[in-house]
Amino acid sequence: MNDGLLLALPVVLPALLFAALGLAWLLDLRPSEAAVGRATSTCWALAVLAVAALVLGSLGGLPPPSVEFGRWFFGGGRHVTLALRADALSLVMLSLSASLVGIVAVFSRRYMHRDPGFHRFFILLNMFGAGVMLLFAAEPFELLAVGWELVGAASVLLVAFYQQREAPARGALRVLAAYRCADIGLLAGIALLHHAHGAPSGATAAAVAFCFLFAAMGKSAQVPFSGWLPRAMEGPTPSSAIFYGALSVHAGAYLLLRARPFLDASAWAAGAVVAVGALTALQGALVGRTCPDAKTSLAHATATQLGLIFVEIGLGWDVLALWHIAGHAVLRTAQFLRAPSLLHDHHRLHSGAGGHLTSAGAPFGALLPRPFQDWLYGFALDLRGRGLS
Amino acid sequence: MDTPNAVGEHGSLTTPHHESLEAAVKHAAHCLPEQGPIGVFIHHNTLHAFQHLPFEEAVQAAALSYGTEPFLLEETYRADFERGRILGEDLDAVLAAEPDAPLWPGGPARRRLRRLMLVPGPALVRAENLDWLLAEGGLLRGPRDGALLAACLRRTLARAGSEPAVPARPRDALLAVAGVDSDEAVNPHLIRDCSAFLDQGVAAWPMPGREKGFYAAVAALADRPLALEPAPLSGLGRAFRRQAESGLSPTAVVLECLNDFRVPRSDWERLLTAELRALPGWAGLIYKLEREPGLAPHLPLPCSLMDFLAVRLTLTRVAIENAWAGRGETRPFWPHWREAAAASVPAEAERRASAARLFDAARMLGLSTEKVSLLTDAEFAGFQAEVESFGDWERRRLWHLAYERRHEQDILKLLAGHRSVIDPRRPAERPFAQVVTCLDEREESFRRALEELEPSVETVGAAGFFNVAVQYQGLDDPHGVALCPVVVTPRHSVTERAREHARPLAELRRAMRRRWASAAHAFETGSRSLFAGWALSLLSLLFLLPLAGRTVAPRLAARARVWLGRGVPRPNTELALHRPDEGAASAEGGFLPGFTVAEQAERIAALLRAAGLSGALSRLVLLLGHGSTSLNNPHESAHDCGACGGRRGAPNARIAAAMANDPRVRARMAELGVSVPEDSWFVGGYHDTCSDEVTLFDLDAVPAGHEAELEIVTRARHAARAANAHERARRFEAADDDDSVASALEHVEDRADRLSEPRPEYGHATNAVCIVGRRSLTRGLFLDRRAFLVSYDPDRDPSLDSLAALLGAGGPVCAGINLEYYFSVVDNERYGCGTKLPHNLTGLVGVMNGPSSDLRTGLPWQMVEVHEPVRLLLIVENTPERVLEAARRSPAVVELVTNRWIRVAAMDPADGTIRVLRGDAFVPLQGAVEPPIALSSVDWYRNRLEHLPIARIVSTEPHPSARGSKA
Repeated sequence: MNDGLLLALPVVLPALLFAALGLAWLLDLRPSEAAVGRATSTCWALAVLAVAALVLGSLGGLPPPSVEFGRWFFGGGRHVTLALRADALSLVMLSLSASLVGIVAVFSRRYMHRDPGFHRFFILLNMFGAGVMLLFAAEPFELLAVGWELVGAASVLLVAFYQQREAPARGALRVLAAYRCADIGLLAGIALLHHAHGAPSGATAAAVAFCFLFAAMGKSAQVPFSGWLPRAMEGPTPSSAIFYGALSVHAGAYLLLRARPFLDASAWAAGAVVAVGALTALQGALVGRTCPDAKTSLAHATATQLGLIFVEIGLGWDVLALWHIAGHAVLRTAQFLRAPSLLHDHHRLHSGAGGHLTSAGAPFGALLPRPFQDWLYGFALDLRGRGLS
Repeated sequence: MDTPNAVGEHGSLTTPHHESLEAAVKHAAHCLPEQGPIGVFIHHNTLHAFQHLPFEEAVQAAALSYGTEPFLLEETYRADFERGRILGEDLDAVLAAEPDAPLWPGGPARRRLRRLMLVPGPALVRAENLDWLLAEGGLLRGPRDGALLAACLRRTLARAGSEPAVPARPRDALLAVAGVDSDEAVNPHLIRDCSAFLDQGVAAWPMPGREKGFYAAVAALADRPLALEPAPLSGLGRAFRRQAESGLSPTAVVLECLNDFRVPRSDWERLLTAELRALPGWAGLIYKLEREPGLAPHLPLPCSLMDFLAVRLTLTRVAIENAWAGRGETRPFWPHWREAAAASVPAEAERRASAARLFDAARMLGLSTEKVSLLTDAEFAGFQAEVESFGDWERRRLWHLAYERRHEQDILKLLAGHRSVIDPRRPAERPFAQVVTCLDEREESFRRALEELEPSVETVGAAGFFNVAVQYQGLDDPHGVALCPVVVTPRHSVTERAREHARPLAELRRAMRRRWASAAHAFETGSRSLFAGWALSLLSLLFLLPLAGRTVAPRLAARARVWLGRGVPRPNTELALHRPDEGAASAEGGFLPGFTVAEQAERIAALLRAAGLSGALSRLVLLLGHGSTSLNNPHESAHDCGACGGRRGAPNARIAAAMANDPRVRARMAELGVSVPEDSWFVGGYHDTCSDEVTLFDLDAVPAGHEAELEIVTRARHAARAANAHERARRFEAADDDDSVASALEHVEDRADRLSEPRPEYGHATNAVCIVGRRSLTRGLFLDRRAFLVSYDPDRDPSLDSLAALLGAGGPVCAGINLEYYFSVVDNERYGCGTKLPHNLTGLVGVMNGPSSDLRTGLPWQMVEVHEPVRLLLIVENTPERVLEAARRSPAVVELVTNRWIRVAAMDPADGTIRVLRGDAFVPLQGAVEPPIALSSVDWYRNRLEHLPIARIVSTEPHPSARGSKA
């Protein structure tokens, strides 16, 4: 098969499914749970196969597949080519996304069974899936931004999934505010690129890098945006897993990897990435240790590793960062999906250990004087409170 | 904003104040849920605090004070009426039991009005929707309606306006006056503190100073240099410091707040209740752990509700003073807040709505405009009072009684019909084998399946702790746990140990488990930390395969796990059960190690006597405890055995069997008048009600000569568990369309082990009946897993000791289960804990919604969605007088019966007449219907999802002769 078509398939198929399910919803047709579940599983199984074929091709030395949807936005003798192109970075992210969305879709068929919002959940899951595949396969930043926004919208709507309750609606508003604020960075960066005719240099490149960093900070819950991440845990467990453990939060890091030329052009920007990441990692590690519940504890753990990924990117260790993203996404998906079984697991662990499970205490606990440890605990609790109030 | 430590006009802070405050707190605490840490889930009456009131009154009183629903919604009952679940005759019968009178002299009867207001039912007019109903809602239908409405409007009086209520707590006043909700600042802070304080080992870093109590720990954290106080709570640290500097105890802090809030002492309880109800889950858990610190799963903590209130009131005070100051108010808040009143509906709008309701009632009664106009003022006022007194809750109360009546009639008439065609006496032939299970209603189908597959087997129901209340420590348990009903405190302990020859294996296994646990724990904590998390993330791509396996192909993954884990089998074990008679009374950790022969004999004798098994034992007797194992289920323990205190009852069955097999114990039992034939052998076992796995213990000890029985029972048990799985699967929409027994068994096994399954089993859902009597009354009846079945032989209980013991132990347990389900269904969001899909386990003690919410108590929607909320129908096989006499011996049962928290019927052992307790008297049941006949259980339930009526399954009829020749 044409490899351009193979690349278009995993992007277009979820989008079509999203459109079909959404249209059915609007027309008040309610396909059965089984039909929705089967269609979604099939769609993502096909996506996994298509991406796997591309990866095999790439390993076999084929050039990066690409497919063009035409040229848009003519003006001043310039245009934007709306194209998908899958280099190694994209292929890693695409295969990761297709498999994790597939796993979460299969998981959710049973998890969401008989929930009044079953259809809504799958519409949003497919919307997210289409968005994330587009985000990772898009060649120009303009197209990436479309995927970026779809992911953001799906995320907000899933945080507010239990819309009849107040807390989820408030949480979703918080997420929306953080996203929209950070998205200014993405749009401003793209606008700057237009002004620089796509090839910025010097100060403009640095400005683009800073803009993209700002956007990435929002999406990847870096300091000072990190407060929205625990609030996003209002949705059903599988959506927490796929968005805030696995894919959506890594989109910011991916954007920075894509922005590598601009980061290389400005040591300040790269330094800022390191600084933001390091701060986030420290805050996450500190606050996470005080979390007594399954989901926010994972949320802070996720923020910690996202911070480290930013540090790696800032230092220019792209391959390590990519490896880190992939491993981390899988780890957190597994942990989030297991979060409701925490009590069961802890019980087994506790009995296996013969009743001796010790808490680790403060980070570097032994090195710090006791009063300072207690102060630090209060500090962590206050930081956590900021995220929740 | 600091208030000087003044004592105000209400007097000094002396001991009498402390005492009356403590009394007020104690009273206020009645409003809190009783639920303990979720790891050991005990079903109990959600409205236990209201149990001193009659049921119908209690649910409405609670609904009023908690803002909950007392019954199902009217539209739900109406839908049930339409599908025939409630019949017109039920409504008539319920109305007939209510007092009747003409609406006015010579006017229509109240009963007629009420019947019309139930069906077709009134137009639901409120002040808010009246205009819409008139304009577009079709309230006015006929040409004469306008005049009738006008007449009603003219004559309807405004009801006496009630005094505007004093706001219950300062937050309500602030919200009404300023539109600011101080709870938005207070609750998240308090939730954060409570969850950190109560955490049993999820957070890597425990809250410092919590051993000094909640108030001290929170105050120390708040009052620290450079604290980051959120704006609405700024000055919190200062407030706590001032309290500390004044040397105030938490009680004094609460007193000072009440004093400074200017709350008169008569209103303390009201304010404290309202403050506690702002986060009832957390406050309730703290109060529960204050009274029973041993319930904390790992770390006993110094919990105190007074501490909680001190923190809550301090937070409230700071938040309100900040909000008030932020509005630039010059007038102080505290002296005047109790004068603030919530906006109310104008009296005229209320009057018009009342008139419209009267119009609607008059139209249903067929009253003409002239007739309405001709009523005297007093008559019209009486009519108005009648209509208004039959409001939403009152209608729903009658609907509910009708709903329960239909259930009662369907059960009792068929039971009576069945009783009239059977011989209830025990057959003379000795049964081939007996299987004793828990009285749990989930075992009903398992017992039926056993008897259906092997008609020579007799099944027996007894409380699942088998009369062995014990502190038990299994081979893998880090410490002992109490296995008995929660109202009992065990005095004896039993430990399980590896047998002599298996000790090396046990040691190896223990070491390997330790290593596995510490590695797994290190992974869990490490994956959340900075550097270890980094290293583990880099390795974690390896988890993609198992993750995909577990979700996409769970059965394959399960097989792979079993294959990988087959290395170290569980060693053979024995029980340290016996305690020599003499001496050795030294208690270990408060428990006597093991039981003496006399103690064992007493327990087993009472068990056998109550179940009517004395002198009627077969050659092989299986005792099956039960429990449930599942994933994705913080409420896992709610599916375990209630008679074992919300734990798994396997050890009790094994211990009871070991006791009953001991010749010394048997000899002693003979002295107590309970004979066990020499050739009888007991085998303990365990039934997992989720995966339907059945295991038997100590089979190597079965003496020679029992092979035939054991083989046949083993075969029957395998078939029965599959049949049971098949019957359970009818309720699961997700079960395969493939109808085979084998695939149903696979399906339920898969459910138990599936990470994504929110309904591993339906637990006690649908429970509705409890039958205490001989198995012959119910043998062969399809009871749809809805009946607790307690074996009891009225002919062998002249002293009523057995019945009193069965009712005293089983009654409250079954009623607790039934009522918890009732309330979790009628108001799942407030009495229950809502959908479990966004639940977030916190501190190993409970679940929140999302990252920060009140602790959710009660049952989740996924557990109760198929439940029919009806009160337990307790049917006892004995004469009404003797039933009451036995019930009277337990105060708990008396309360349940007299206040109608359970429905009671008595079946005469001699002639099978059923009498139902109505009001204070037993009334004979009218009419008996023979149950429909089905060839097998499967024939009856195949392809049906709904609740099914009783049927007689003919293949269960015993054929003792067929087996007798073999045996």
